[in-house]
Amino acid sequence: MTAALLTLADSRLPAGGHAHSGGVEQAVAAGLVHDLASLTAFLRRRLTTAGAVAAGLAAAACDAVRSASDRHRPGALARLEAEADARTPSPALRAASRQQGRGLVRVGRRAWPHPAWDALPDRPHHAVALGVAAAAAGSGPRDAASAAAYLSVSGPATAAQRLLALDPIAVAAATAHLAAEVDALVGQVLPAVPDGGSVPDRLPASADPLLDLLAEVHASRKDRFFAS
Amino acid sequence: MRTAVEVVARRGPGGTTVLPVVRSSGQLAVRRTGPVTVHLVATAFGPLGGDDAQVRLVVEGGASLRVRTVAAAVALPARDGARPSLQRITAEVAGTLDLQPEPTVVAAGAHHRAELRVALAPDGELLVAEQVLLGRAGERPGRWTGTTRIERCGRPVLHTTVDLGPGAPAWPTPVAPRAYASTAHIAPDDAPDDAPDDAPAGARAAPLLAPSCGAAPTDRGAASPGVVTGADAVRLPLPGGWVATAWGSELHRVVAAAVAIERPGGVPA
Repeated sequence: MTAALLTLADSRLPAGGHAHSGGVEQAVAAGLVHDLASLTAFLRRRLTTAGAVAAGLAAAACDAVRSASDRHRPGALARLEAEADARTPSPALRAASRQQGRGLVRVGRRAWPHPAWDALPDRPHHAVALGVAAAAAGSGPRDAASAAAYLSVSGPATAAQRLLALDPIAVAAATAHLAAEVDALVGQVLPAVPDGGSVPDRLPASADPLLDLLAEVHASRKDRFFAS
Repeated sequence: MRTAVEVVARRGPGGTTVLPVVRSSGQLAVRRTGPVTVHLVATAFGPLGGDDAQVRLVVEGGASLRVRTVAAAVALPARDGARPSLQRITAEVAGTLDLQPEPTVVAAGAHHRAELRVALAPDGELLVAEQVLLGRAGERPGRWTGTTRIERCGRPVLHTTVDLGPGAPAWPTPVAPRAYASTAHIAPDDAPDDAPDDAPAGARAAPLLAPSCGAAPTDRGAASPGVVTGADAVRLPLPGGWVATAWGSELHRVVAAAVAIERPGGVPA
């Protein structure tokens, strides 16, 4: 682990993550999340689906930056962008991911200058940008995957705390208790990360249609606090 | 037990479809039941845990193939318990493939893994539906893990793994459905040269596609017209088509919900 990883996973990094609830706002509205136990179940659900996909993509993007030459990097990252799209059929979730990706590029370029930033599209998926950020900061695929997996639950946990006025200490403890599951997930994901240049079609694709539905219903609301 | 099926559909004289290759071994037989239709017929109980079925479908340009099954498949646990049953369908489609098997019922204690990989050529069209019920009547649910990967010209269009049932990490209450239905329809994208300005720049900077394969899919944003939501159902747009998914406790209601959002208001999809 590096201090760069702490920075990447820090909610104070101004990449725009605070504006997104990861589906929690709509889950609260639907009555699916109403207390600490139901929040924990939701976070676990999110970790093992969206979190696994993000961890795989982030690790693969980090590896692509480190192993591909300057010339081959845009192609390698574009392939991962396409894999991210295929795993994110919900337009609302794609938009949320690209918004956060753009936010991360904005701060990451300044924080960790690296030629790889220029290999990304204007609005990359968040997980792909996170992988580039990890590489630019000198971290490896495992750190990239850890940050992605952790961020898949930490932001939503804070959003739930604010929406439900939960005890911040209880929410922090619940998030901390998921740490072993975050680590285990990263351990499962890493073997699927392709070696430099190979096709990334074996990356995790765990889907939860419930999260797609919540995101689309949420996107159509006018009275929401969070962007997603 | 190992099961292998291979069917090749080719354009015949006068726009008909001929099947130059129809092979099967193991637990599935293939019967041609119509001009473009084959039925897969289970010749044994199961699948059982440890069984491995590989189905290869090739639909050449100008040909059509409809694949059906005659009855629901009931996945049963192996005697030793742990091993899942596997079903892997790979399809190469330059014509039209319509793949709509009867439901898969996963008995208590069983784990069934279904994998579908479809490679679409530029003019290929796909309609695929799957229906899953966890547990027979009055029985605990089994576990079903389904992976779908659809590519057009080597570029992924949809790649999802849905894991349902006891032991699946994203199957906690209160949303732990016993019944699941998903339908995807992908037709050739007939707007190849009007790539909007907001298409992912990286996809254009580094072409992945053969020139005949059309534009990169666009990021349509949250207000996309292709989205339809229901109570426990959602339809999402795909390049050239859509995927509709529904879930709940009873399969017939879930299938009805999936059909209802496939063609909202009777508008052609």
